[in-house]
Amino acid sequence: MSAAVSNFPIIAIITFFLGAFLIALIGRLNKVLRNVLVFISVTVPLVLMCLLIKPVMTDGQIVAYWMGNWAPVSDWAIGIGIEVDALGLFFGLIVTLAAFVSALYSFTYMNRDDSLENYYTLFLMLSGALLGLTQSGDLFNIFVMIEIMTMTIVALTAFRVDYDGALEGGLKYMVVGSIGSTCLLVGIAMTYRQLHTLNLAQIASKLPGNMNAVTIAAFAFLLVGFITKASLFPFHPIEADAQTVAPASISLMISGVITKCGVYGLIRVCYNLFQNIDAPSVEILITGFGALSCFICVTMAFNQHNFKRLLAFHSISQVGYVIAAAGLGTALGLNAGLYHAMNHLLFKGLLFLCAGAVEYAAGTLDLDRLGGLSKKMPKTCALFLIGAASISGLPPFNGFASKWLIYQASFEKGVSSGNFYFVVICVICLISSVLTLASFVKVSQSVFFGQLNPEFEDTKEVPAAMRIPMWILAVLCIVTGLFPNQVMKYVTGPAANAAINVGTYIDTMLGQNTAAEYGIASQATTEIGKIGIWSPVSWLLLLLIITCAVCLVSVIEDPKKTTEEERFEYNKSKGRIAKFSRDGFKAAGKELPEAENAPAEEYDKPGHHRNPVLSGSTMTFTGERDPKYEVFFSGEMPEYSQVGGSDLFWGFKHSWRRYFSYWRKWHSGIVNDYVLYGVAALAFVLLYAVLFV
Amino acid sequence: MILENFVASFFLIALGLYCMATKKNLIKILIGMGLCDYGANLLIVSVGFNPGGTAPIFTISELSRDSFFVDPVPQALTLTSIVIGACTTAMVLGLVIRIKAKYGTLDSTKIRKLRG
Amino acid sequence: MQVLLVAFHILVFPGLLFEILMGILLLGTCNKLVARMQNRVGPPIIQPWYDFLKCCGKETIVPRAANRNIYLGIPYVGLGIILSTALFIPFAGMKLVFGQSDLIVILYLLTFVSVCMIIGAAASSSPWAGVGLSREMVAMISYELPFVFVILAVAREAGRGTEAGMTFSLADIVAYQQTNGSFFLHPALIPAWIAMLFVIPCEIGMHPFDVAEAETEICEGTLAEYSGKPLAAFKLTHCVKLFVMTSLFAAMFCGGINTGIPVLNVLIVILICFAVMFVSMALPHGACARFKTEQVFRFYWTFVSGIALVGLILVWCGF
Repeated sequence: MSAAVSNFPIIAIITFFLGAFLIALIGRLNKVLRNVLVFISVTVPLVLMCLLIKPVMTDGQIVAYWMGNWAPVSDWAIGIGIEVDALGLFFGLIVTLAAFVSALYSFTYMNRDDSLENYYTLFLMLSGALLGLTQSGDLFNIFVMIEIMTMTIVALTAFRVDYDGALEGGLKYMVVGSIGSTCLLVGIAMTYRQLHTLNLAQIASKLPGNMNAVTIAAFAFLLVGFITKASLFPFHPIEADAQTVAPASISLMISGVITKCGVYGLIRVCYNLFQNIDAPSVEILITGFGALSCFICVTMAFNQHNFKRLLAFHSISQVGYVIAAAGLGTALGLNAGLYHAMNHLLFKGLLFLCAGAVEYAAGTLDLDRLGGLSKKMPKTCALFLIGAASISGLPPFNGFASKWLIYQASFEKGVSSGNFYFVVICVICLISSVLTLASFVKVSQSVFFGQLNPEFEDTKEVPAAMRIPMWILAVLCIVTGLFPNQVMKYVTGPAANAAINVGTYIDTMLGQNTAAEYGIASQATTEIGKIGIWSPVSWLLLLLIITCAVCLVSVIEDPKKTTEEERFEYNKSKGRIAKFSRDGFKAAGKELPEAENAPAEEYDKPGHHRNPVLSGSTMTFTGERDPKYEVFFSGEMPEYSQVGGSDLFWGFKHSWRRYFSYWRKWHSGIVNDYVLYGVAALAFVLLYAVLFV
Repeated sequence: MILENFVASFFLIALGLYCMATKKNLIKILIGMGLCDYGANLLIVSVGFNPGGTAPIFTISELSRDSFFVDPVPQALTLTSIVIGACTTAMVLGLVIRIKAKYGTLDSTKIRKLRG
Repeated sequence: MQVLLVAFHILVFPGLLFEILMGILLLGTCNKLVARMQNRVGPPIIQPWYDFLKCCGKETIVPRAANRNIYLGIPYVGLGIILSTALFIPFAGMKLVFGQSDLIVILYLLTFVSVCMIIGAAASSSPWAGVGLSREMVAMISYELPFVFVILAVAREAGRGTEAGMTFSLADIVAYQQTNGSFFLHPALIPAWIAMLFVIPCEIGMHPFDVAEAETEICEGTLAEYSGKPLAAFKLTHCVKLFVMTSLFAAMFCGGINTGIPVLNVLIVILICFAVMFVSMALPHGACARFKTEQVFRFYWTFVSGIALVGLILVWCGF
């Protein structure tokens, strides 16, 4: 390994923090300088992480760096290490990509806020903490990074202090999150007590032979700590609140990265440190948490009236998928989980940015008021549809590939272990997928389609600078969906293998054959079966050909035009139409300036749907617009009548009313209740660990 | 003596959690968070304690096989953790002040715009 | 030559032309059978084709408030997807165009077709369509649970020989049936195929379960605004879906029938398609009035899911 490469991770982390301090110093002097600084500080880490792909992912090296050059003395780690294996790099890539996209989006999105230098300082500190967390090889360092992350994310959530509920979201995140922090700290203290080391590799080498009541309790505490950070089931309300009120670019970071850090911690703890993921009791516990979050949050999303809150519940549900797959303990399951973790950043990030764009343009996120924006914001609408199709798992988008793997992995696990429990997990995942689709149908109908609420008549498409980061994510959604085998071979496969092969990790950090001394067998690299059953590219080609053929056939003979304007022009050119205006008859084909203006007042009347784009040129001889082109109202006068938001799925919701009202009450919004749920979960996990693990 | 420390630290954490779960006043919730922190800190310091050990301050020449001292690492961890705890407290106090200004109350049952 | 053969498979048999023909015949026969059950004469069997032609000749009206591009484009995308879905289903032992296929892919492609209809309806901005798409989605949630159970039961049974112990691959499922006898006669899978017979009409949106297109209540719901060629495309999608679902049933439960004569095999599968159509579509259509949305949901999540779950457990226990 060349010496330069081993410096990359620390340079990347330092770049974020350095950027943060520089912006705090000189950010308020010059806006352009500040943005340039931010851009540099998010680009450099991304580039460095990309440069690490070849040595770490492809060649399977592990990049080690000892802070202050305190290298291990006789197999004993005495310094703080930065250890980047493929798993760490995988999550590092997620962090840096998210930071890059989010910063790019913030430049335009946040331009209506003030004291932005504080925003960027906090944002870069957050990114640095997240990257440090994924690259660190020291348990206590991970805790410190998590605390920096919590602190900055709370500040960023409450950044728009006047935004409804922002302070509240921040406070709840802090209070309930502190349970997780305390658990982590206690878990770390107990581990240290047993092993007298904090280095991950060293813990991994010594722990499996040293299991006793204390280490099992430490395992339970660490598990609860990371479950809090991944905001799985009983901890999820804080996450939902924070994502609802944070600026969209920060919601992306919370849902796309912070939850992923919890996932990363869980994988590290279960696969590397304690290596007890093969124990059926651990598998059942972790997949159970995942599946519960998956199902409960997807049904909670049904009830939401706020675009971002709906997305927030979906992100917990998707993290539930990730955990349910990663907790299976098989190579395929871990692969599926990592794949979905990556996809979740891409599509959920895209959706949050779309929500931000809607809020930027229309000024509200209320699903009961919005509607019909696809005519005003067609480009955002297209991006949203890509994201929605991805998250609902429609082929050939990326959500489908990873969900397919999750179903395969969980069902295979069920069959191979003979445990029907995993089949239930598989069914829950499959059903949650269609429920996800249902809530995105709800969003698309109540935000982008349906009728335009007259109060959003002047909505404009968002600037291109905001759409570029969205396009980055959208393109990645499509690419990772079209080439699942390549993604598994070059990205998630090495990461999963790195997590499973603890021996290599230990050897790299503490010298050759250390792992063998402690009796940790090195696993053979597992080849993951390809998704050979499904070749998205050829299907897409076929679909394009068929669709084009069908379209062509339908377009070949059609002299008649299909919109009002075109038809009017067409008929006028044929001399078929005589046109009247309110002031009297005028010959066809002449310009009718009064007619352009005449109907305007008419359609300003309440209840009459006016469309400024089409009004004017579309009258028939009655002086009214052609009613043929109004939506069908059984002959009644058309009026604004949007079926959206809470109106959709009432039959379904009615059948589930007891379930829904129970969970509505459960999410009471009182911080004490949330703490209580957290404490209950902690007690449950402790008890479960003592009894079964 | 170590055992009492462990019992006391878990008692403090439990007390803190109880406080956070039942007290409706935001300041009291904050105090609960502080108690959790102190409990955890006490635990870490106790973890590194060796009965009869001296303070871990040596020069290289003084260090020998026979020197018996308490583990310095947990003390460093505790220091870090105390700093983090202070930051958390400051952060929450800041939020509480703004919440008081905006909601006019510190009652956690009334601060529930985000729910359902 | 190879290219020509593939093109023939895609375009003529068992591809586009054959799918459309079969779809139209199935729907026409279904209508005719229902009419006979109700003592009516009924339309000619190729009435769906006449409907299609007539729709094609009519003017296409785009509502003023609609999103024009999506409104006009999505029906053709839906048609394209359903036509390509059919190519994933092994038909009478013929080689697949894609070489392999997968039940989960088919499940999601079928979902995609319904999503196309929903997006089209949403883009038309009509309140009737809003109600319709909401019902379509509920119907989709309803049949998904039993469908999932059926798929898992079949995947488990067909995977007995494989290393993983399960397979979602339709080709494997058909091959397994070829050696071990078709699942239709397998005692443990009887509940599964009974549940599948219930899933089919709801998936297609046939009469007692056509809550989304209830003509009399909500003016055809999702299709309320559609006219002309896009409507024709939707109608054709509906026909082809009929064929896809029935031939999926044939592949999942009656696969592997091999008489040695290709033409006879094809005829047998066609016969099975018609039989499935008769049992699962024509009979309930003739016998029942339309369900309410909640009733559909409750019926599928209790009764049909119950049967399917029993099937899954039977297979799991290895009967």
